[in-house]
Amino acid sequence: MTAARYLGPAKGIAFFAILASLPSFNIAHWVLNIAVFTLMYAVMSSSWNLVGGFAGYPSLGHAAFFGIGAYGTALWFQHHAITSGYEPFELLPLIGILAALLGLPVAMIAMRTRSDVFAIVTITLLFVTQTLAFNLRSLTHGAQGLSIAVAPFSARTYERPFYYVLLLLLALAMGISLGAMRSKLGLSLAAVRADEDKARGIGVRTFGVKLLSFSISVGLTAMVGGIWAYYEGFIYPQFAIDPLVTIAIVLMTFLGGRATLWGPVLGAFILETAQQTLAYSLGGSQFYLIAYAMVFLLVMLLMPRGIVPSIQAGLRRRRRKAAVDAAGSQGNAADTKDRGVRSTLSTVKGSA
Amino acid sequence: MAALLEVEGLIKSFGSVRAVNQASFTVQHNSITALIGPNGSGKTTLFNLITGYLPPDQGRVRFAGRDITGVDAGRLYRRGLSRTFQQARVFPQLTVQENLTVAAGYSWGQLFGRRMSKADRQRVGQLLEEFRMAHVADLFASELSYGQRKLLEFAAVLMSSPSLILLDEPTAGVNPVMIETMEHHIRDRYAAGITFLIVEHDMNFVMRLCDPVIVLDQGREIFAGTPSDVQSNPLVLDAYLGG
Repeated sequence: MTAARYLGPAKGIAFFAILASLPSFNIAHWVLNIAVFTLMYAVMSSSWNLVGGFAGYPSLGHAAFFGIGAYGTALWFQHHAITSGYEPFELLPLIGILAALLGLPVAMIAMRTRSDVFAIVTITLLFVTQTLAFNLRSLTHGAQGLSIAVAPFSARTYERPFYYVLLLLLALAMGISLGAMRSKLGLSLAAVRADEDKARGIGVRTFGVKLLSFSISVGLTAMVGGIWAYYEGFIYPQFAIDPLVTIAIVLMTFLGGRATLWGPVLGAFILETAQQTLAYSLGGSQFYLIAYAMVFLLVMLLMPRGIVPSIQAGLRRRRRKAAVDAAGSQGNAADTKDRGVRSTLSTVKGSA
Repeated sequence: MAALLEVEGLIKSFGSVRAVNQASFTVQHNSITALIGPNGSGKTTLFNLITGYLPPDQGRVRFAGRDITGVDAGRLYRRGLSRTFQQARVFPQLTVQENLTVAAGYSWGQLFGRRMSKADRQRVGQLLEEFRMAHVADLFASELSYGQRKLLEFAAVLMSSPSLILLDEPTAGVNPVMIETMEHHIRDRYAAGITFLIVEHDMNFVMRLCDPVIVLDQGREIFAGTPSDVQSNPLVLDAYLGG
């Protein structure tokens, strides 16, 4: 029991320690470049999970906030100089807070709808934002895009600042997720996800917790957008506000397992590294997309609820079985029978 | 002293169907009032109107002397007006303990407190002990039998210390032993001062437990009285037998 209690924190510390030490192994630039993108997606999946996983509201509009973060950062540095190279990172908290505030009225309107309708409303938001980016030329320069000054980091360790800021952001996103899961906020969100009307009727502050989760989620996503804009140097409407970004985040979270702490991160690590590596090895052709889709289909076929929940359910079944066996050896026949029936029931449910 | 719940001329239409048509009745303090009527007589819609799940087209609802027409369901719950649903709505992927904790109606500040605090565990533990469900405390609600889920839903609404509980068919689809258990818990809580309004089709259950009985037909009340009066009333017989 005590060992189990330390397993969680130990896993977290090991995970972040390994990631933090990764750049010091003199890894090739292209690998570190993949790592930067993987971290971006890990942060975004983890953030999306707050609203798409915990609250059960499948937002397809997150790329809009990614774009808002990207454009916010790019616009700011049209008028401000970059000298030390760290200014865009210092701007991130402000970007995050502004996007989160902007998320509030959006959530107020969009979250009056549910599930599939909510998905459609939010994807509409994405296209509206993209259209605005294309057409507000005086502000965004339309299809010409915006550029940000190249960071004055040494070429040898160019990726590191981006990498570490993203790692910090991942720790923040996962910390918020963990905090939510361990608090009544997470409990309320779980109730909303299961049966929102019932939750409302037993005094759960459904509207408030939905708004809060959406707002935090899009705030974090916008911060990633800001880092991305700075990393790329150029931003164009079709890449800054890209439906494929939204879809990738959603797929990653589904793959790893919704409403879990590690699921979205795991999903991002699998899919983004697979996609980038395949893109490198298979060259400029689009073959990598087929391989990428295969990975996804295979996992979804074998573990429809995602990787982490499937493993958790398996462990739970094994523990139950062990408990039943232990009870059986004590000769408590009636009790064993009772529990045995129940664990069979949960097995059936688990595979359904 | 005014009645605990006063329903006055409630009307609710869905398209051209008038589900509730000028319903008016009262529920007295510390009573177990039954609301019966044939299928489609508007009982569940009436529950939805009273508990804030649906806004009425016309009419007023007063609870403990205050007008609560159109007030949000969550707010009413925190004020002491609770309900259960016909199909035992619990949260399947939460454990039994969590199902009870989430129903405690906590404030904004508590939202950031622990998922299950020591105080929660204690309170939930007592309730589960009372309902003889302590052995399933850590199971997911999805692993419970239907009857146990009904019991859990009932136990959950007690978490807010309600003064009035509306039960929508508490015994439907439940085995006879569980019906007795349910009856026992209702009597217990009634003795502790809670008022009940129960929609039920099991007439034996109603006649044993409830007084008065209100009869609803085509969206309005046609009779209210003691169980024995109801059984002999020609209007009621007509409504049920399709006169």
